[in-house]
Amino acid sequence: MRPDSPIPGANMLADTRHYAWHRPPDIVEYDQAVDFMIKKIDDPYETQMVMAMLKIDAQISTIVSTLLLQAVSVGKFGIDLALLTAGPLARYIEIMAKNADTPYEMGVRDKDEIVITPTLLKQALGIVDPDDEPEMPEEETPALEQPTGGLMAMPDEAVAPQDEQMAMLGGVEEEEELEPEDELS
Amino acid sequence: MKFQEAVKKSIEMFLDGKMPDRTAELAESGQLMFTQEYFDLLEEEIMGEPVEKEEEVEDAS
Repeated sequence: MRPDSPIPGANMLADTRHYAWHRPPDIVEYDQAVDFMIKKIDDPYETQMVMAMLKIDAQISTIVSTLLLQAVSVGKFGIDLALLTAGPLARYIEIMAKNADTPYEMGVRDKDEIVITPTLLKQALGIVDPDDEPEMPEEETPALEQPTGGLMAMPDEAVAPQDEQMAMLGGVEEEEELEPEDELS
Repeated sequence: MKFQEAVKKSIEMFLDGKMPDRTAELAESGQLMFTQEYFDLLEEEIMGEPVEKEEEVEDAS
């Protein structure tokens, strides 16, 4: 039993028309959304807040998601456009941090980062596991050519050449042995 | 996928230089303004030598 859970059907009676995410968003274009967020960050109060978060070692991705969720919750733009603006916003905060000589961490995986796998670790430590040795691939036997004329058709190799077939059918006249002419006569 | 994870993935994609091409097609000018190149130039401008800009004179009237 959950006494603090909502009463079944309560959502049918609640007036949710005034929630921001039930109305069309104010901004629907990418450039406008990025421009809005940059102007928002440039506000002195927001700038202080962002720099303070960077100084307590908050990752830029965390700051960005906080700012975007605020904008989505007040209906400035939809959640899909918020995700599209995350990259430019993070880059802008990165530039701000560099300009203020504040150490920062982006909070995303570095593309040059090497993912440590058990195999990589074994190779680094020089451990050779016989189970990991690659098996020699079996030699492939060439597949026999399938007859092309249907299931019961004779394979092409067994078909005699045309002249042999004609000879078997008696279509070729045998050369008669000519008697040598009597040159003397 | 949680929102935080999606944000991280989006940031990774942007830093790799991948842009939402379909979104660019919907833009009025046909191309996006806030691209990776834009932020590279902005960084050069802020971190490098100061670039003199002509200040826009606002009409007092």
